[in-house]
Amino acid sequence: MGLNPVSLSHVLYAIQKSHFAHRLAESNHMLVACLQIVHVFGFIFLLSPLLLIVLRVFGLILRDQPLQEVLRQPRTVSLTGLAVTLASGLMMFLTAPLHYYNNWAFDVKMLLLLASLVIYAALFVEIIPRQSAHPRLAKVAVVVAVVSWLSVCMAARAIGFVA
Amino acid sequence: MEATRVGSAIAEGRYAFPIIEGIHLIGLAGAVGLLMLIDLRLMGLFLTQVPPRQLHRQLLPYVLGGFGLVILAGVVLLSSEATTVFASPPWPFKMAFIVLGGANALYFEFVSSRRPDALPSTGRLPVSVRGAGAASFVLWILVIVCGRLIPYITTWG
Repeated sequence: MGLNPVSLSHVLYAIQKSHFAHRLAESNHMLVACLQIVHVFGFIFLLSPLLLIVLRVFGLILRDQPLQEVLRQPRTVSLTGLAVTLASGLMMFLTAPLHYYNNWAFDVKMLLLLASLVIYAALFVEIIPRQSAHPRLAKVAVVVAVVSWLSVCMAARAIGFVA
Repeated sequence: MEATRVGSAIAEGRYAFPIIEGIHLIGLAGAVGLLMLIDLRLMGLFLTQVPPRQLHRQLLPYVLGGFGLVILAGVVLLSSEATTVFASPPWPFKMAFIVLGGANALYFEFVSSRRPDALPSTGRLPVSVRGAGAASFVLWILVIVCGRLIPYITTWG
């Protein structure tokens, strides 16, 4: 059973008219700027530890350090970045849900985000812990994970430029 | 700048601006993100089991490569809306913080880090090194904040 687009638009309309969303949207436009800044920092701290992990998995840096040791703190930083990115993104969405609903770049971003989250979870839960048994799979997976997040970023930048 | 072929092509193209802006952001995540990880290590807050000199030396080429991408994409973006950007109050602050961040990095690279015992493999790092890491971390945060504020604060009035 799929989602009825009419009822979904009604739900989004109700969200947009809710007290919380109304307060967000009506507040100083600098609040949206602040949310964007937080969103960018969340993305930076999501992606840069992932890049560090890519370099380590490919043996380009810290070769003498055990992967699982190197992984621990970057994974925590990256997960924190992900949480900040998702929370600030949700807040931005709440300021104008109908605007985002009618934007095809936002739909693409959401699909890519879903795929990226699945790949990200698989990477840290299944693939990296078994890296020594499947080194090639780990290499492919870290590259796919980074590319998936880059594609989310590109789709996100397009949101403000398409109708 | 806006009248150049590159500037007008980006300003008139529908998707050129968001694509280049996306590349600018990706370069930022790579360059500034990795640099901030080095800063956190210098502050003793990240990967403390890794010798700071090793992390610094091995990540530096990727940080510089990322900065190359950021600067290239930034100049191209600037060429498409130079008038608006130059009039925006956060712009001079962004440039000032970039200069300070660059000066701090050069001083660390060529002076602080070359002192004997500046970067011991383990243990607490000297105050000058931790200070350089903290200054770099804060300055690059300010660069990004000012950069993101450019479209929101367009005039001094």
